[in-house]
Formats: sequence, structure tokens, C-alpha cells
Amino acid sequence: MPSMNLVLLISFLLFSIGVAGVLIRRNVLIILMCAELMLNAANLNLIAFARHSGTVAGQAFALMVMGLAAAEVAVGLAIVVALYRKKNSISVDEINLLKG
Amino acid sequence: MENLLLKIGQNLFLIFGLMALGGAAVMVAAKNAVHSVMGFLLAMLAMAGCYLCIGAEFMGVAQLLVYAGGIVVLFLFVVMLVELSKAKEKGVFQRQTPFALVLAGAGVVGFVGVFWKTIFGTSAQEALTLAPGLVTQGEKLGNAQMLSRGLFAEYLLPFEILSVILLVALVGAVVLAKTERV
Repeated sequence: MPSMNLVLLISFLLFSIGVAGVLIRRNVLIILMCAELMLNAANLNLIAFARHSGTVAGQAFALMVMGLAAAEVAVGLAIVVALYRKKNSISVDEINLLKG
Repeated sequence: MENLLLKIGQNLFLIFGLMALGGAAVMVAAKNAVHSVMGFLLAMLAMAGCYLCIGAEFMGVAQLLVYAGGIVVLFLFVVMLVELSKAKEKGVFQRQTPFALVLAGAGVVGFVGVFWKTIFGTSAQEALTLAPGLVTQGEKLGNAQMLSRGLFAEYLLPFEILSVILLVALVGAVVLAKTERV
């Protein structure tokens, strides 16, 4: 059984890689994947704390986060496909419909 | 040889964690979108291994099914559907990349600085160590049984709300992705 510190450290590093990916990439698909990675890092924390406290609440909510992430991917990818039809590109630089 | 195997068994979580970090790094750094998806797949598989290592068997299998089985395939389909050749002209990284990397690095350094004693201190290490002895009822019931009791008894309302959200997302995805004239 690993120690709690190791779990927290790895989860935090995964989260920061996700944040860095959202900040530096231009491709909408990869930004979505980085968001998924951040949700997964949070899930790892939830499960670790569930194990630590000996209750099941953390795991139950991690399962719900997973379902929510699946819903998010479905809607996000549909938006990406619609966007590609409209702008013929999926680079975030080209998406400026709300720009004044 | 046996010693080595024992050591690997003891540090299984660390190995899976490093694999997840490597997959995530490949995902962020790869120029080709398909390579990014493969890095994402590796990260998700390694995360499933991590879940198995910290005693969440059901979550590990669910992670395999949902992410490696479903979400990665969805991403690959969309990569296939959209053409990515135009994205290469302007480069894959944003202009603010150096600043963003510095910011993320500062975040890591800040976190480690604040929680230095918690993470690496010898006194704090004992207190935060996972305590399997706490899970007295769970050991008797097994992970999936315990989780199902939590989900369908204690947290039934959030679970039902989640099912409504999934339905709405399904309808929303269909509406968003269909063509205008249909």
C-alpha cells in the first residue's frame, strides 16, 4: 500500500500537467483531453481519501465524476465537430465569434 | 530475482504513477494529434493501475471500460473526422507557452514548498499513511459491494441526478452534431 503523500504528489503533478496543456496547446481536442486528465487527478485524490478515511463516499463521488466526464466529452466533441463545420478549423486562435 | 520482484510489488503504485505522468507528458508535447491520444490512453491505463493499487478495484475496472474503452475511441474518431493539416502551419503551441510553463512550474514549486513537511517529513509521513485497518467493514464485504451500498442507499439522489445529466448530454450531443437541414 503506497503512502498518502505519494498519491497526493502524483495526483498534483498530473493536475499541473493538465493545466499546462490547457494553457499551451492550440488544438481544441488536446485541450479537452487535458481537462479529462485534470478530472482524473481529482478522482485519484477522492479515492485516496476514501481509502484513508475508511468510508465509501469518496469512491462513490469519483464514480459520479467519471460519469460526468463522459457526458462532458460527448458534448465537447459534438461542439468540436460543429465548430469544424462552421470555421473549418479546430485551432483556438480561430474561434473568436464573441470578439467585439 | 525474487528480491527485485518483491521490490516491484511494493512500488507498484509508484511505477503506475510514473507511467501516468509520462503518458500525460507525451499527450501535452506530441505534435501529432494521434500521438497525443495514444499518450492519453497510456495515462488512463496507468491511472486504472493506480486505482487498483490503492484498493479501489471497481473504480479501476470502470476506468478501463469508460476511458480506455469509450472516451479514447471517441477522441480517435473525432481526430479522424477533422482535418489537422492546417493546424501545423502556425505551430502547435500558443505564443504564451514559456510564460505558461513558468507559471505551472511555479505552481509545482509553491505546492511542494507549502506542503514540504507533509510530503517528505518523517513525522508527517506516519500520520498520513493509508490505514487499511480502518476499513473493517469493507474487507468483509468487498469493494464493489461496499460501493454499491454507498451508491444505491446513501447517495441515491446524486446518482439519479447524474443519470438525468447523462440523458441531457446525450440529447445535446445529437442536437449539436447533426447537420442544419435535417
